[in-house]
Amino acid sequence: MRNAVVVALAVIGVGFSFSGAVGILRMPDLYTRIQCSSKTITMGALPVLVALVVAEGPLSTYGSRTLLVAVLLLSVNPLASHALARAAYKRGVPMWSGSVVDQGAERRLQDSDPGGE
Amino acid sequence: MTTIYGAICLAEIVVMVPLFVRLAKGPTVSDRIVALNTISTQAALAVLFFAAFAQRPIYLDPALWLCSFSYLGTIVWARFLERGLL
Amino acid sequence: MFWAIDYLCLAGVLASALAAVRIRNLNGSVMALSAMGTILSLLFIVLGAPDDAHSEVVVGAIALPTLYLIAIGKVRAHVTDDSEDLGEVGEGR
Repeated sequence: MRNAVVVALAVIGVGFSFSGAVGILRMPDLYTRIQCSSKTITMGALPVLVALVVAEGPLSTYGSRTLLVAVLLLSVNPLASHALARAAYKRGVPMWSGSVVDQGAERRLQDSDPGGE
Repeated sequence: MTTIYGAICLAEIVVMVPLFVRLAKGPTVSDRIVALNTISTQAALAVLFFAAFAQRPIYLDPALWLCSFSYLGTIVWARFLERGLL
Repeated sequence: MFWAIDYLCLAGVLASALAAVRIRNLNGSVMALSAMGTILSLLFIVLGAPDDAHSEVVVGAIALPTLYLIAIGKVRAHVTDDSEDLGEVGEGR
């Protein structure tokens, strides 16, 4: 029973990790690649770590370190992704030519045009 | 159970292959940094599962280092991009 | 299963080292160097040397690329994200 749960969680995690990696390879744009990277962490790494915790028990040597790794990943990785995306957007790294909305550019346009509603 | 751990470790290393392709041909530096972050995470997972596969708890510490400090390069590059100089 | 992990790590070290040599942009080459440190630490762990893996993670994968980034940023202040290797590598290959 425990083996079945571990294998199911591992298959889910590895599948999402692989789809995220293929997304990073195939996406046309920096920002969509950052989104795929975050998805790899959240949906790919966490089920695998939960599988190790379920298999070893949360208070064993492996389980406690695994929980620490999960907390570190969940806290540090969105920070790094956000900092990178914000810096790239401020620098003006080009978006994909098929993207439809750029709310920062629209807001800058409204600010520079005070007369128009 | 250790066979399952070894298979998961192998799968996490196989997942790195598209990321290496993106790291080699990414058009901007930021693309390479995104691929590098994901490679670090996958390497930390592979280290964890190899420690469980070999039944050696001493192998767990480099995974903690990789998880907690592999983002320094990203932070430095983001600061450099945003302000122009350090 | 052990030898498969071993050979995959060797292939990763080789690929990232080749990328670090072939990439024409300095910051991108630093990123490939950091990937090489990460995979080399994984190879050290697979070969059973956790102390070497520890120092390789701290020095080769984290401290050295960060110092390289800071040094490149301080020396060449106009390196931006769009001064990229499109022209040179496109002609070279």
